Amino acid sequence: MSACTPKSLASSGQKPIQEMCHPLGAEEAVLTPSPDVRNITSSIGEKDQILPNGTPVETSSPSSSSSLLNRLQLDDDLDGETRDLFVTVDDPKKHVSTMETYITYRVVTKTTRVEFDLPEYTVRRRYQDFDWLRTKLEDSQPTHLIPPLPEKFVMKGVVDRFSEEFVETRRKALDKFLKRVADHPVLSFNEHLNSFLSAKDLNKRQGLALLSKMGESVKYVTGGYKLRGRPVEFSAMGDYLDMFTQKLGTIDRIAQRIIKEQSEYLAELKEYGPVYTTWAASEAELQGPLEGVASCMANCSIALDELTQDMSGDFLPVLREYVLYIESMKAVLKKRDNVQAEYEAKLEAAALRKEERPTVPTDVEKCQDRVECFNADLKSDWDQWQNNKTQDFRQLLTGMADHNIQYYEKVTAGDYWLMLSYVHLIQVVVQGAKGSVSY
Amino acid sequence: MMADSGPKEVAVIGNTELTSAELDNNIKNTMVEIEKGTSLLRKMEISVAEAEKRTGKNTVNMQEIYTVYLIETRPVDALTEGITPDSLWRRYSEFELLRNYLLVTYPFVVVAPLPEKRAEIVWHKLSADNMDPDFVERRRVGLENFLHRVASHPVLCNDNIFYIFLTEDKDWKEMVYETGFQAKADSRLKAVNAAFRVKNPDGRFTELKHYSDELQTVLSQLLRVRARVADRLYGVYKVHGNYGRVFSEWSAIEKEMGDGLQSAGHHMDAYAASVDDILEEEEHYADQLKEYLFYTDALRAVCRKHELTQFELEMVALDLACKKQQKEELVTGTVRTFSLKGMTSKLFGQETAEQREAKLQVLEQQLKEGEEAVKEKNTESDEFVKTAWVDIERFKDQKDRDLKEALISYAVMQISMCKKGIQVWTNAKECFNKM
Repeated sequence: MSACTPKSLASSGQKPIQEMCHPLGAEEAVLTPSPDVRNITSSIGEKDQILPNGTPVETSSPSSSSSLLNRLQLDDDLDGETRDLFVTVDDPKKHVSTMETYITYRVVTKTTRVEFDLPEYTVRRRYQDFDWLRTKLEDSQPTHLIPPLPEKFVMKGVVDRFSEEFVETRRKALDKFLKRVADHPVLSFNEHLNSFLSAKDLNKRQGLALLSKMGESVKYVTGGYKLRGRPVEFSAMGDYLDMFTQKLGTIDRIAQRIIKEQSEYLAELKEYGPVYTTWAASEAELQGPLEGVASCMANCSIALDELTQDMSGDFLPVLREYVLYIESMKAVLKKRDNVQAEYEAKLEAAALRKEERPTVPTDVEKCQDRVECFNADLKSDWDQWQNNKTQDFRQLLTGMADHNIQYYEKVTAGDYWLMLSYVHLIQVVVQGAKGSVSY
Repeated sequence: MMADSGPKEVAVIGNTELTSAELDNNIKNTMVEIEKGTSLLRKMEISVAEAEKRTGKNTVNMQEIYTVYLIETRPVDALTEGITPDSLWRRYSEFELLRNYLLVTYPFVVVAPLPEKRAEIVWHKLSADNMDPDFVERRRVGLENFLHRVASHPVLCNDNIFYIFLTEDKDWKEMVYETGFQAKADSRLKAVNAAFRVKNPDGRFTELKHYSDELQTVLSQLLRVRARVADRLYGVYKVHGNYGRVFSEWSAIEKEMGDGLQSAGHHMDAYAASVDDILEEEEHYADQLKEYLFYTDALRAVCRKHELTQFELEMVALDLACKKQQKEELVTGTVRTFSLKGMTSKLFGQETAEQREAKLQVLEQQLKEGEEAVKEKNTESDEFVKTAWVDIERFKDQKDRDLKEALISYAVMQISMCKKGIQVWTNAKECFNKM
C-alpha cells in the first residue's frame, strides 16, 4: 500500500504538495474512502485516474513533475456534483507518411450520458482535429467562451516540433482544453464534441464549415450598428481583459529576460568550473578541495540548465496561451456588443413605424432574445473563466516556485558533498592553527 | 584568522640533501625564530582601524587628495576596557616603502603582498575609483592583513624598522632611508641577466618559479571569470525584482488573487535585494585569492635572488678557474689558449724570467683572493638556499591552510545562498497557493 494518504473530494481541503500522492507516482492503487471501489488500478502513463462510479479523485497541484501532470483537473465549482463525462488526452505517437509527418494523441472518453451510444471511446486525433473542434464550437456556440488551444504555428528551426518537451507541453494543453469543454454545462453537449470524441474518422467537411463560418461572422461583424449603452458589467469585463493582457505581456517579457540572464550566467559558469580543475593540476594538498569546487560548479550548471528548460517549456507557453485566450474572449465580447447594437437599431426602427404595426415585430423580439441569451451565457461563462484563471495561475506560479526550489536543492546537494568530504580536513586545520576556527 | 603564526611543525624542510646535523640545526633556529615571532603578535594587538581622506601638496607641489589609514597598537595584556591604543596615521605609499625595505633586507623571505593599489579586476557594481568607499574599506582590511602577516613572521617581526613603523609617528621615513637599503637593492637588469645566464640553479627554485608562474596565470583567470560570473548572477537576481512590481500592479485588478500576488511580489523584491549581501561575501573570497595571486611575485623575487647569488658564485668560480689556468700556463710555459700577449711574445720574444716571476706573484695573490671570494660566495649561497627554503616551506603550509579554509568557506557561502533561495521561493509559493 502506498504510504501517503489518499484523498477524495476537493471538500477535504487543499493539502500542501508534500503530503499529496502523485496519482501516477505509486505503482499501487490509488484509493478513495468509498468502499465500492474494487477494480481500480493505476499505472504510470496509460490509464485514467477515474473511477467508473463517477467519484472523482482529487489530484490537484502536480506542479512537481513536468512529465507526469495530473490527468484529472477538478474544477472547484463541481464540488459534490456528479460528473458523467470524463476525457483524457495522452499517448502521443509520431506518424510518418509520404506526404507529411505528424503527431496523434489518444483521446479516451468515459461517460454515462445518453447522448453517447457507448460508455467508452478511444480515438486518435491530431492537432488539426482539435483546431477543427474549436472552430466548430466557436461557430455553433458563439455566445460562449471557448477554452484556448496551444499555439498552432511554431517557427521551424527555432522549436523542434517533435521533441519530447514540445509534444508533452502540447499534450498537456490539449488535455486541459478538452477537459474544460467537457466540464462546460453547454459545450459538453455539443454535437461536434460528440463526433470528436466518438467518431472513427472525423468527417470534417472543412469546406462547408468555412463557408458557414464566413456567413455567420458577416452577420455579426459587419452589422454596422452603433452600440448605445453597454451594460457596465461587460465594459468592466473588457477593461479587465485589456489590463490583464498588458500584465501578462509584462510577465512574459520578464520571464524571457530571466531566462536570457540565466543562460548568460550558465555560459560563464561553464567556464568557471574548469579553471579550478586546471589549478588543481598544479597543487598537492589543495587538489582535493579544488576538484570538489569544480564538480560543484558542474553540478550547478546542470541544475541551471534544467531550470531554464523547465521555465521555457512550462511557463512561457501557458502565458502565451492565455494571451490568445483573451483575444478570443474579446472577440466574443465584441460579438455581444454587435448583437446588442443590432437589437437597439431594430428596436428604434420599429418604434418609428409604431403606427403601422400594433405589436413589436417578431424579428425585433428575436433580437431581444438573442441579446438576453448572449448576456446570460457570457455572465455564467465569465465566472467560470475567472475560477479557471485563478486555478491556472496558481498552478503556473507555484510551478515556477517549485522549479526554482528544485534548482537550489540540487545545487545544495552538490555543495554538501564537497563539505562532507572535507569536514575531516577542517578538523586538521583547526588542530594545526593556533587560533580557533568555527563553522 | 589568516595571519596566524603557524604551528610548531612548520619547520619541515623538504630538502633531503641536508645532513641530519644541519637539519637539526635548522629546526632549532626556526624554532627560536618562531618563538621570537609569536612574541610580537602575542605582545601587541595591531589593527588598521580607520581610513580618512586628506589633502596636501605632493612632490611636484600640486594639490592632491589621498587616503590615510589609522594604525592602532595596544599591548595584549592591557585588554581591559578604557586603555586607548596608541595610534598613528600612514598612507599607502609608506606601506609600500616598508615592504620594499623588507624585500631588500630579507631577500630569503617570501614577503606578504600589499592589497591592490588600484582596483584592477572589477565587475560592474564595484567602481574602479580609488576613492570609492567600498574600495577603501577593502584596502583597509588588506593593509591590516599585511601587518598581521609581517608581525607573525618568525624573522620579519623582529625588524626594528617594522616596529617603528607601527609605533613612531615622526621621522620614520628618514630612518628607513638611513638604513641605506636602496643601495643594497639588486638592479633589475642584474637580476634578469643572472636569470638568463645562470648554469646550475637549485632545481627546487626552478620548480618553484614554474609553480608561481602557473599559479599566477590560473588565479588571474579565476578572478576574471569569477567577476563575470558575479556580474551575471547579479543580473539574474535583479530582474526578479520586476516581478515584484508587476505582481503589485496585477493584484490591483484582481479580487481573489490580489492578496496572494501582492505578498508574493514582496518576496520577489526581497529575493532581488538578497544578491547584494551574497556578492559582498564573495568579494571577501576574491580578496583571499588575490592575496595569493600577489604572493606569486614575492615567490618569484626569492627565486630571482637565488639565481643571482648562484650566478655570482658561478662567475667568481669561473674567474678562479681562469686564473688557475693562467697560472698553469705561466708555470709550464705552454700557451693553450690563444691570446694577444701570447702571440706578441711569440713574435717579439719571450719575457724575461723576472717579468714572469712578477706576473706569477700577482697571479698567486689573485688566486688567493679568488679562493676567498669563492668560499664567501659559496657560504652566502648556501645560507641563502637554507634560509629561503625554510621560509618557502612555511609559506607553502600557510598557503595550503589558508586556501583550504577559503575554499571551504566558499562552499559554505554557496550553501547559505541556496538555503536563502529555497526560503524565498517557498514563501512565494505559499503566497501563490493562497491565491
